[in-house]
Amino acid sequence: MDLELLRKTGAEVAARDDVKYLLGWKQGTYGYRVAPAFVENAAGAAELIFSPLCTANLATYLTLVEQLPVPRGEEPDTRKVALMVKGCDSRAVTQLLVEKGIERDEVVVIGCPCPGVVDPALLAEKYPETEEPAEMKWDGEDFLLIRNGEETKISRDELLAEKCRLCRYPNPVVSDEMLGEPVETWAPGEDKGVEEVEAKDVDSRLEYWMDQFDKCVRCYSCRNVCPLCYCQDCILDRLNPTWVNRSVNFSENTAFNIARAFHLAGRCIECGECERVCPANIPLGKINRKLARDVRDKYGFEPGVDPEAEPFQASYKPDDPEDFIL
Amino acid sequence: MSANYEPNIVAFLCNWCSYAGADLAGTSRVSYPANIQIIRVMCSGRVNPLYVMNALQQGADGVLVSGCHPGDCHYMEGNYYARRRLGMLKDLMEFVGVDPKRFHMSWVSASEGHKWKEVVEKTVEDARDAGPFEGFRRRQIDW
Repeated sequence: MDLELLRKTGAEVAARDDVKYLLGWKQGTYGYRVAPAFVENAAGAAELIFSPLCTANLATYLTLVEQLPVPRGEEPDTRKVALMVKGCDSRAVTQLLVEKGIERDEVVVIGCPCPGVVDPALLAEKYPETEEPAEMKWDGEDFLLIRNGEETKISRDELLAEKCRLCRYPNPVVSDEMLGEPVETWAPGEDKGVEEVEAKDVDSRLEYWMDQFDKCVRCYSCRNVCPLCYCQDCILDRLNPTWVNRSVNFSENTAFNIARAFHLAGRCIECGECERVCPANIPLGKINRKLARDVRDKYGFEPGVDPEAEPFQASYKPDDPEDFIL
Repeated sequence: MSANYEPNIVAFLCNWCSYAGADLAGTSRVSYPANIQIIRVMCSGRVNPLYVMNALQQGADGVLVSGCHPGDCHYMEGNYYARRRLGMLKDLMEFVGVDPKRFHMSWVSASEGHKWKEVVEKTVEDARDAGPFEGFRRRQIDW
């Protein structure tokens, strides 16, 4: 990725009169941290980066930003929000367009073709974090880690995130500006995580998920970080009816996790953010990918690809599979 | 599992077909297992997947959702939505370790009292096979 081009385009977009701010990535304060950057003018674009450490899906901020009521006598700010997207993030934007969560003329999408990002947990485990901010680059097929002034070459397979290994859309599917040439797509590997669980029998699957869900502390980070969990009135917060009790036990944790996963059936674009932010390391990606695969195989539907599509759960086909019906 | 174990089944029946079908089974003196607790809903498309989840949490050993045959829905298309959603739910529950025998879906029309009997028998038999469901039952704490 050409940082010059990125910053130049960023500055141009941020300077536009019809753009409120540009959302991008910037170097964090320490170690491998990458922070979201809200760039409001051309000068701010100098801090933008795009590297294998930019795992965060910025599309979350499109719906996360608080919509305060407009004071009397003032006009609402109708300027656009510009944001930088990787391939998976662009699918979140498309899915938001499908669901009318945002309108196309409200956003400026800057596409960054993405050769795959690292798994931050794996990176920190293998190469301990430093106090000084560290950098990372794509170097041909490999990653180049620069920390404390010394360069380490790391092979792609060693650190590539699971979601990237299975990625089928490394190039943004929707964009107003594209940074650089599209990258070559790669054949997604086999989804070993899901297959491993599926190979177990029903009782050991329940045991497996019991172990996993028992760890859940119900911080709702997975919901908050998800670009597609943006209901103003979430059923998990509702007290009447109380769909999910607040007590932290296996029963309620499972209810919560099933509800969360089910609300993303046919919507999840597999950006893997929920799994990344989970403080208890619950493999949420496995549930999401399993559902996404079923939706794809059984119903021939893929979320976040076609902005004109009908939402999966709000549409039907007369010939949907019904082999499970008595 | 004790020998005289009787499963609890919660059934969500649509008002226009399946509920009338169950009613017909009753008026026709068709006998079927009494393990089933019927909840009438206006349409199978009204059955939120969380209802199924909640029934299992609150002590059901099996859940049945029944609606009109495709194309016969009183609201034109409610059962098509139900088919899609609950089909996904069944896959998801199976993946997290709920025996697929515990959740069934069926189409029973208002004139199919006998089919209703078969459906109930199959559901109860399957739930009996699967045994009591302690999986993610909500625990009652006696203070």
